[in-house]
Amino acid sequence: MFTAWNDLLLLPLAAIIIFLFWAALTPFETLGWWAGWFGDSIYHDATSTEGSIPLHPPTHAAPARAYVLFLSGIGRVSGQTLSYREQGFLDRLRQRLPGAVVIDNIFPYSVNNLALTGQPIFARLWQWALQRKLEGPALAGYLINTRNMLQVAIAADKRYGPIYNQAMAEVMLDTIMRYDFDPERPVPIFLIGYSGAGQIAIGAVTYLREWTNSPIYVISLGGIFSSDPGLLAADHVYHLWGTKDKAQIWRLLMPGRWSWLATSEWNRALRQGRATIIRMEGMGHTGRGGYLGRHPAPDGGPSHIERTVETIAAIIEQATTPNATPPT
Amino acid sequence: MDMAQPELPGFLETLRLALRLEPSIYYLLQHHRLGLAYAALIVLLAGVSESLGQSVVLFLNRVRPRRFVLALSITTVSHIVGYFLWTLTIWLVGSWLTQQAQPWHAVAVVVGLAYAPQIFAFFELTPYLGNLIWGVLSLWSMIAIVVALHFGLGMATWQALLVSSLGWIVMQALRRTVGRPILHLRAALQRRAAGVPLTVKKQDVAALRRHPVRDWYKQLEARRRSVRLSPVRKPPPSHNEQSHVHRVE
Repeated sequence: MFTAWNDLLLLPLAAIIIFLFWAALTPFETLGWWAGWFGDSIYHDATSTEGSIPLHPPTHAAPARAYVLFLSGIGRVSGQTLSYREQGFLDRLRQRLPGAVVIDNIFPYSVNNLALTGQPIFARLWQWALQRKLEGPALAGYLINTRNMLQVAIAADKRYGPIYNQAMAEVMLDTIMRYDFDPERPVPIFLIGYSGAGQIAIGAVTYLREWTNSPIYVISLGGIFSSDPGLLAADHVYHLWGTKDKAQIWRLLMPGRWSWLATSEWNRALRQGRATIIRMEGMGHTGRGGYLGRHPAPDGGPSHIERTVETIAAIIEQATTPNATPPT
Repeated sequence: MDMAQPELPGFLETLRLALRLEPSIYYLLQHHRLGLAYAALIVLLAGVSESLGQSVVLFLNRVRPRRFVLALSITTVSHIVGYFLWTLTIWLVGSWLTQQAQPWHAVAVVVGLAYAPQIFAFFELTPYLGNLIWGVLSLWSMIAIVVALHFGLGMATWQALLVSSLGWIVMQALRRTVGRPILHLRAALQRRAAGVPLTVKKQDVAALRRHPVRDWYKQLEARRRSVRLSPVRKPPPSHNEQSHVHRVE
């Protein structure tokens, strides 16, 4: 009996050890990048068309009033979106903010923006995982989410974060500069970090701040993030927090987010009024009832995605309009 | 010692028992001619694992791949030297405290076995959980040395506790006094092996900047590389709300 129990325990134990091995090997990508082992190129996907939006806005158009960079959640393998909801969200945001350049073709879980499906050795593995994710069984697809989640953990780690976040800040700057962003002009930048990308967005602010003259705002869309110095480097951090967002429980793993650690960056940002929590009534983290859910409310009110787009658009509008009062 | 050789388990089994702090393994290995070899192998593996676990600083200093391996081996050797010094300290302190000369061979075996938990030191690289894992391993190692002295050398628990803590204090004192030339030698060797000045320390990481000049972004255009990827999915045939694609955010 006892040995049978031991044998049963062996399986989860093996799974944990394999996971830990994977996790412990992950930082070598970031560290090797810093050491210059992989060169200093920044990759971008030539096939990505960004929907119907031309890569460069027509020259006769007025200069952009704001750059909005959307960082997707941990489900992505490249700069291309996999999700109809995300696509719908971006389309609505572009319609709502005609003066802003809304960009999403960035892969925020790779130090040089190289898509998983374009990686030199493991491209086939990720291609396979992607097919499983799209066609099922979904379990294999979670390899992608796990891999990207580990990158978020790197961004939140005090040893690797400063390196990873510099890499991401480079990729972000490169991405917006491909859309004619000029670091010398003070056009505001808005980083929207969905889920785990909340950490990525906040982490990069420290460095973007040093390289540009722009005000930089972070909009965390159900973001999972640690208490990072970037919270105090940003002009303002808006944290959209769905009342049914169970994924927010992850914050309890980040000691700096505990309310009694008064000197943490997060608590200081809240006290100084540099971070605002915006309650999103009835919204979950993802899927149908999530921030980007498209079903109209039971009482005939606006759908989640409409409310989310409206909230974010209001933040961007008030920040780009002088003398406006902040939304509460 | 060659008379009545006890049955020795295989190396992996020995390792497993050492990790579980199994009392019998300390006795068994002391009385077997392969005991010291097993203990030494555990120390070596732990040394390699610890060197990897501490390799972040080499990357911070931008060491080249070949030099990385060389620098790692230097660190591993220094861990083994550390094992000899730790054994010597325990032997001296133990003999003095118990008022009887401890057998050198037995001390070397049980101290080596107490290194077993450090075989997992590599996992300290795990993002975000590294500190936690370091803490667990430190605690585990501390308990391991006390258990090893207690069961392996027949010390009373209080003696084992006292010997290991006094030993630790002696080691710290040595590091700051007569051990300094050795530490300097180690640092010099590591620098030579790494091939780059190891000026950046672990705690400097937040102040590190890849680009010292503000307008470095002018180089960005030259660094862009285009890759052609196949589209991740075909254009949607219809808006099928039930598709599992929606769960992928």
